[in-house]
Amino acid sequence: MTEVTFEEAQRELEQIVERLERGDAGVEELTQLWERGEELYRICAAKLEGVRGRIEELSRGAGQN
Amino acid sequence: MEGRRVYSVRAFNNGVATWLSRLPTLWVEGEITELRRQDRWASVFFTLKDPEDGACLAAQMPRGQFDALRLDLSDGERVHVFGRPELYEQRGELRLKVLTIERYGAGAHLAALERLKQSLAAEGLFAADRKRSLPRFPRLIGLVTGNDAAAKRDVLTHIVQRFPPANVVVAETYVQGPRAAPAIATAIGDLCRRGADVIVLARGGGSFEDLLPFSDERVVRAVASCPVPVVSAVGHEQDTPLCDLAADVRASTPTHAARVVVPDLEELRARLERARESLHRGAHRSAERHAIRLAAAHDRLRRAPLLALERRTARLDTVRARLGALSPTATLERGYAIVRRLDDVIRSTDQVAAGDAISVRVADGSFGATVE
Repeated sequence: MTEVTFEEAQRELEQIVERLERGDAGVEELTQLWERGEELYRICAAKLEGVRGRIEELSRGAGQN
Repeated sequence: MEGRRVYSVRAFNNGVATWLSRLPTLWVEGEITELRRQDRWASVFFTLKDPEDGACLAAQMPRGQFDALRLDLSDGERVHVFGRPELYEQRGELRLKVLTIERYGAGAHLAALERLKQSLAAEGLFAADRKRSLPRFPRLIGLVTGNDAAAKRDVLTHIVQRFPPANVVVAETYVQGPRAAPAIATAIGDLCRRGADVIVLARGGGSFEDLLPFSDERVVRAVASCPVPVVSAVGHEQDTPLCDLAADVRASTPTHAARVVVPDLEELRARLERARESLHRGAHRSAERHAIRLAAAHDRLRRAPLLALERRTARLDTVRARLGALSPTATLERGYAIVRRLDDVIRSTDQVAAGDAISVRVADGSFGATVE
């Protein structure tokens, strides 16, 4: 599977939830949707866990003369 | 050349200098240009220019006094200068020895600012339809701040608190004084080249003059033409530097800037958990709905044969009833009779003659008779 961004994964998860809540998914599809939803949840949760950003300083002088 | 009085250059200059020194101290109004100040110099030099016809006057002021005024003058600023003329004897150059400087006309500044605002607005730089929305999850946040630290620390702290995965690249620049505007504009460009997908301009509160660089046309244009969205968090709520108008989002404080530029991780987590719960609930509910529909179908299936039989029986009964209504029995019971000669049913007197044998059918049977 290609790497999805957190935003994409979250959006897809919420779309799946919406579909399920509408209740018009077929039985086979239901299982697929649920599994995909769980997978997306895991992707999102993993992305939120333990990631620390970086703060870097642009070398002084680069932005000025 | 007898009797001619000749002066040495030095003596001449000295004479003029002495004569000049008798002139009173006075106020001169002009624009500051070519301001030259260096820490190792004893004096600060600038040229006072007449804004009307460009006439120039060299001016010099002891650096200590100049610094003590803390005016942060930039080129082109209108000032009133208090001083007296003197001659730099070594070079025979006239200049104004400055005792003090007063910035002249915040009103004039305001008017200039207003004119700039109008013309940039007319160009459409502040138009609402130019405003872009910020990325929901910025890859790299470019932060332009001064080294005054407070604003920078505020923004960074709040960004990291809200969203620990944030990547930030900070460009420290001058944020006040004559060098600030070009430095800020350059920093914006540098950060974009570094791959920032959103830029935050942050500067704490300051005087009207302090915030002027953020109304400088160069900065406003840099913000407006920035390829990625810009958040302006300059000064306090009541300040509206022109860069605020050109920015895609205006933040009232550095904290506010952090809030608009990154999502809240805790909120994201909560939302994710809610989505998961809904996923389970939704899947469960869908499955239940399918089960109920299936049970209902099964029920109907079971009842179907009986139902069909019942329906058929009912139809048969109806037919029999209708058939009964059509049979002559009921009519005979009311007293009518069917008369036959041989096998023909008699409908007319022409069909019989006296002496013919006929049979008469009544409700409960038949009997023979003879026509008279």
